[in-house]
Amino acid sequence: MSRCQAVARPLARQLRPQCAIRPFTTGAARASAAAETSSAAAAQPSPLDLDPNSVLPEFESDLIKAGKMPIGSRRRRVAMRTTASLPFEQLPYQAFQEARAILAADRQEKVAKIQEELEKISLLEKKDAALVKGGQAMKDTKLASLRRYVEQLKIQADINDPLVKKRFEDGLGDMDKPIYRHYAERKWRSYDYRLITQRIKQFNIVPDVLPKLDPVADVQLYFRQSKIPPGEIVDSLVSENPPRLRVQVFDKGPRLVSLVVLDSDVPDVEKDAFSKRCHFLAANISLSPSDTSLPLSRIRAADQLAVPWLPPTAQKGSPYHRLSIYLLEQKPDTKLDVAQLKELYASRDGFSLKSFRDKFSLTPVGFNMFRSVWDDNTAGVMARHGVAGADVEFRPTRVHSLKPPVKPRGWEAKRQGPAYRHLWKYTKRIKGLSNARGWTKRR
Amino acid sequence: MASSTSITGLFSRLSLLSRNTTTATMKTATTTPTPRLFSTTSSFLARKAPPPASGGSAPKAARRNRQAPKSENFFRIRTLRRNMFSPAPPPLRMARLRYLRHWTIHRAWQLFRRKQHEAIDKERSRMHAGMYNACEELRKTVGPGSRGEGYLYRVAMEKKGVYGLEGVPIEYARFQTDSPAKEAWNHEWKR
Repeated sequence: MSRCQAVARPLARQLRPQCAIRPFTTGAARASAAAETSSAAAAQPSPLDLDPNSVLPEFESDLIKAGKMPIGSRRRRVAMRTTASLPFEQLPYQAFQEARAILAADRQEKVAKIQEELEKISLLEKKDAALVKGGQAMKDTKLASLRRYVEQLKIQADINDPLVKKRFEDGLGDMDKPIYRHYAERKWRSYDYRLITQRIKQFNIVPDVLPKLDPVADVQLYFRQSKIPPGEIVDSLVSENPPRLRVQVFDKGPRLVSLVVLDSDVPDVEKDAFSKRCHFLAANISLSPSDTSLPLSRIRAADQLAVPWLPPTAQKGSPYHRLSIYLLEQKPDTKLDVAQLKELYASRDGFSLKSFRDKFSLTPVGFNMFRSVWDDNTAGVMARHGVAGADVEFRPTRVHSLKPPVKPRGWEAKRQGPAYRHLWKYTKRIKGLSNARGWTKRR
Repeated sequence: MASSTSITGLFSRLSLLSRNTTTATMKTATTTPTPRLFSTTSSFLARKAPPPASGGSAPKAARRNRQAPKSENFFRIRTLRRNMFSPAPPPLRMARLRYLRHWTIHRAWQLFRRKQHEAIDKERSRMHAGMYNACEELRKTVGPGSRGEGYLYRVAMEKKGVYGLEGVPIEYARFQTDSPAKEAWNHEWKR
C-alpha cells in the first residue's frame, strides 16, 4: 500500500458508512433524510474540527473566519485526527521503525560491552597491584582508562536515541545522566565557549589577571532576570544589586567552588597605573550538574560569604572597567577557611586572583565578564554605597605625535599654484571638497 | 553560470571544428564527401553516403545538410550538458518531528554503513594476513629436492605473465626521469 493510501485510509473508513447505506432506490424522502443528517453533521463541528491541526475541509471556512488558519494539507489534517494520540516513537513510518530497530540492536550491543568492561574493572580492582605488570601506577592508569571507556560507551549507547535528543532540545534533560551532559557540553562548545574564549582574548584577561585560563563550565550572567552577554556594558543602576549566575558543569558529581568577582581596571592616580579590586568573594559553594542557579544575593552563610557584593562603579573619564567573574574549583572535599579569607581580603584593593589561586590551590573552571562605565546613575550608586571619588573626573593627558605635520599630498595638491592655472578646472574641483564655484566643504 | 557558458562555447567550437574539417575534406578529396567525425564506429562507417542530389531536390538536400551530423554520443552529451550545471537541489525543509525521524533514519543508515565497512575491512585484513603468513611459510621452507631455503617463495613472487605474455611493465619502456623531457615528441625522427 502506498503511503498516500495509507494516510488516506482513516478518511476512507470514515466516509464508508455514508456510502454503504446508500440504497438501490433513492426515494425523495430518503434523499431528504440523508441530506438532513449530513447538514446536521455539518452544523456541529467536533472539538477536533475546532483545532487548526485537524480541521476537516467543511469546517475550514468557520475556522478561517475565527481568525485561525488551518495548518498543513487536508491529507495531513485527516491523518492527524486519528494519529494524534500515538507517541512519537510508535509512528507508523516504515523506514523510521526499521531505523529504530537497528539503533536498538546497536544499543543492546553497547550495553553488553559496558557490562563486560565493568566486569573487567571489578576484576582489576580486586587484583593485587604487585601482580599487575607495571605496579600500582599501571593499575591506576588501566583503571582510569577503563572507566573513561565506560563513560564513552554510556554516551554512545544513548546518542542515537531520537527521544533523548528531543528531550534535550526541550530542555527536559536530566543532567545527572552522561548523555544529556554530553549534549549540553557539545552545544556549549559550539558557540558560548568560543564567545567566552574570544572575550578572554580580546579583553586581555589572560595576561592581565591570570597567566592561563581555559573555561570548562558554562557560566551565564543574569542581572534583573535579563541575560547579559559576556563583555556587555551594564548600567551601574542595574549592577547595583548582585547578579544571578547560571552555572552548568559538565562532569559528574557535586563539588565545592569559590567565586570571585574582580574589577581589573581601578585607576591608581599615585602610581599612574591601574590596579585590581575584589567586588565579591565567596567559597565552599556546592555545585552539581543538575542544580544550575547560583544567585549571589543568596550566598549569605558564614562559611561561604567572605567579601560581600560591592556595586561596580567607574569614575568619570576613566576607561571601561572589566568586571570579571571567576569560578574556581576547590580540591575535592576540602573546605576553605572563610574567616581567613575575610581577614586577608577585607580591604578589597590590590586583590590578586593569581595569588588567591596559588594560596588555596584552586583551579579556575568558569569565566564570565561584563563592563562598567560612568553613566548618569553612577554618582547615586557611589553615594549610596559610600564609594568615594564621584566628584573626580579623569582626563586623558594629550600625547602629541612626534611626527612632523604632513603637507597635503597628491596630484591636485601639487597643481594648486598659479603655475597650473590651466589645470585649475581639474585641481579645484575635488569631489566632496569643492566645485567650480569654489570651496564647498565647511571648515 | 560562467562555466556553463564556457562549456557550451566549447561544444559549439567542437561542432564548428568538425564542420571545418568536413569542408576541408570536401575541398581536398571530392571523391569522399562523407563528413568525418572524431569518433567513428563500425555502424557509422557502414552508413551509406546520401545519393548525389538531382536538380529538382537540390534545395531540400541542402536544408537537410544544414544540421551538423550527430555523433554517436549525442544523447549522452546532451544529458550531461543538461544535468551538469543544473542548480543544487533545495535544502531539506522539515518540521520538527519529521526532522527527528529523518535524523533517526540518517543515524541508523550511518551506523549500518559503518558496520558494513568494518566487516569488509576485517575480512580483507584477515585475508591479507593469511597471504602474508603463507608467504612467510614459503620463505622459511627448504625447497623441494635439492632447492635451497626460500626457493618456493621466490618462485611465487615471480611476476611472469602478469604484464601479458612475454611482457614487461610499461614503466620500463622509457627511461624514468624526474621531469618531462624538453622536447615531448621528436617529429623528425625517421627509421
